[in-house]
Amino acid sequence: MLTMNEPADRLPGRAALARKVLPYALLSPAVLVTLAIVFFPMIQAAWMSLHDYILWKPKDFTFVGLKNFTAALQDEVFWISLRHTIIWIAVTIPAQLLLGLATALLLNQQFPWRPLARALIIIPWALPSVVIALMWVWIYDANYGILNEFMLRLGLIKASVPWLADPDTALYAIILTLTWQGFPFFAVMILAGLQSIPKSYYEAASLDGAGALRQFWHITLPGISGVLVTAVLLRTIWVANSIDVIYVMTGGGPGYATYTLPLYAFIKARTNLDFGYGSSLAVLFTLMLLGLVIVYLRRAGRSVN
Amino acid sequence: MSKLISAALAVGLLAGTATAYADETVRFWYHFDNADNPMSELVAKFEKENPGIKIEAENIPWNSYYDNLYTSIVAGNAPDAAMVKMFAQPRLVEMGALEPIGDRIDAWDGKADLQDNLLNLTKASDGKSYYLPIQYVVLYLYYRQDMIEELGLEVPKTCDEFRDVAMKLTRDTDGDGQPDVYGFGFRGGKGGHDHWGSFVLSRNVDFSAGSLTSDAGVAGTQWVVDLFEKDKVFPPSAPNDGFKEVTGAFKAGKTAMTIHHIGSSNGMVEALGDAVSATPVPECGGGHWTSFGDESTAVFSTAENKDAAWKWISFLSTAGNNTEFNKATGQLPVTKTDSEGWTLHEKRFVDATVQSLPFANLLPNVPETSDFVNTVWPVNMQRALTGEITAEQMNAEIDKLYNP
Repeated sequence: MLTMNEPADRLPGRAALARKVLPYALLSPAVLVTLAIVFFPMIQAAWMSLHDYILWKPKDFTFVGLKNFTAALQDEVFWISLRHTIIWIAVTIPAQLLLGLATALLLNQQFPWRPLARALIIIPWALPSVVIALMWVWIYDANYGILNEFMLRLGLIKASVPWLADPDTALYAIILTLTWQGFPFFAVMILAGLQSIPKSYYEAASLDGAGALRQFWHITLPGISGVLVTAVLLRTIWVANSIDVIYVMTGGGPGYATYTLPLYAFIKARTNLDFGYGSSLAVLFTLMLLGLVIVYLRRAGRSVN
Repeated sequence: MSKLISAALAVGLLAGTATAYADETVRFWYHFDNADNPMSELVAKFEKENPGIKIEAENIPWNSYYDNLYTSIVAGNAPDAAMVKMFAQPRLVEMGALEPIGDRIDAWDGKADLQDNLLNLTKASDGKSYYLPIQYVVLYLYYRQDMIEELGLEVPKTCDEFRDVAMKLTRDTDGDGQPDVYGFGFRGGKGGHDHWGSFVLSRNVDFSAGSLTSDAGVAGTQWVVDLFEKDKVFPPSAPNDGFKEVTGAFKAGKTAMTIHHIGSSNGMVEALGDAVSATPVPECGGGHWTSFGDESTAVFSTAENKDAAWKWISFLSTAGNNTEFNKATGQLPVTKTDSEGWTLHEKRFVDATVQSLPFANLLPNVPETSDFVNTVWPVNMQRALTGEITAEQMNAEIDKLYNP
């Protein structure tokens, strides 16, 4: 008689085969879809990056080795975009994290209408990026924008500032928009983390005479560190790759003032139709981001453990 | 799983046979700003006159029209016919995407009714005809008649007069120390090369090697930059402003002059009434240049039913139908018959257009022009306006694009 514990190799032929094949069969749809829509285009992009491939010259697909990559490293716009990308990630993520942490701590308190506040806080995250971008374009507008009106009335500025048309402010104006859009993600994740910390820890700590700050440092932070590491990782990847808000708000302008690397790759490929060069930019950026993620996981993973 | 696959196969087969029977389908791409779909009436009329041909007309958003067109061609999914502009022609020809239609035009009854010279303007550099004109516009200067009169000024005819008038029109009307009206709404974003062209290419400058980098060429760009940086007659947002911002500011009374074509005149009149008028762009450095805004239709070489596609596009450029088409786009008809009885725009705007025709030009008919329009001009103009590069460096970048 067969029992569930019996090893597969002792089963009669067909049943054994079925048991071996079943897991693969169940997995295969997901794997095949991933291969087709993620892996295949990735390989294709890497392959294209080694060629001269301009879309309106479809007959010309010449292998050029690493020419596109060396060209990128000598390209002024590549370095400008890289610098902007670093600022983009280094300012947006900490800003979103701190704002999200503060919001989560507030929402974790007892107060009337708390469920409503929790629901409202998610709105920026739930809105489509294009809507957010257009909304903020109007807020920043130099002629009619509410931000200029507000600051003029408070006497903070003397003349309207064209926030998005000035190369010194454009990138930071978009970063503020993205911070506003993304902080609810952190707030919600951290809130979930906070609620998994048993109340008894805090009771014990206060019996031992620990103040609010020490409780936060020794109980709250370690309690949510796992959530933080994951949330920061996810957000870094998303923010690094996100071009929709920039594209709608300035299209990269004025000049190259709001170019980031993914946007530069997109414009090169989609507008200039230079898919070879565009792909090489994308490949370069992927490698850099991969490096960043590996370093981050090693360091953050170690400190959490 | 296998059921799903066979179902999908069945659907595919059905779709295959369906298209095989209704083989007279023409897929047509166009771009209208007008949100309500005025194409449907023309389609209905055509389908009634030509039983057996079905038109699938698709309105593609303008901002990504050519991105979508080029990618669809490479992906083997190009439309059978589409609205196209001259600047895209060299690339489309290079891609082998267009069907020569010279013979069809010669054999067509409507040819004699087309406005003179349009077929010559739209001819490709290889001497063949791929485009059939469908509408046109010429860029001219919009100005606020009321503001000019209020200040006792004259409508500017030259660049010097233009600068003087623009500076006087830039004023603080409510006494808060801030200008509330700017002299000129400059389009620093994509599409603004038309503005720049009127101020620079008029100075007997073109895109040949060394021309833009000559003293006259650099002086032209410097003049534009100075209008913004020194004279401050453009709104501060000018470097990023596109069509929406420039026309919006003019309609709202934030700017007193701007450059655009007759397509926006009805909207301008709706907002400003008699206060808005038009005149040809100013003459600069002894020459005159304005942009000819062309629009044609073309049949694609991959079209399965080229005869049907030709029937459809020639239908659109035929007297009567061409009026209906231009009613939707707000531009000017290409047929003599339709032009004579034209009443859809106020006369002063039609006059400004006609007066501008003698010096209306197209950008060079070469593949580089797409990059000039889409990235090289906007990026470098914005950098020059914001002081990141000099006028000389900007012109050098454009010169480098056309003369590598």
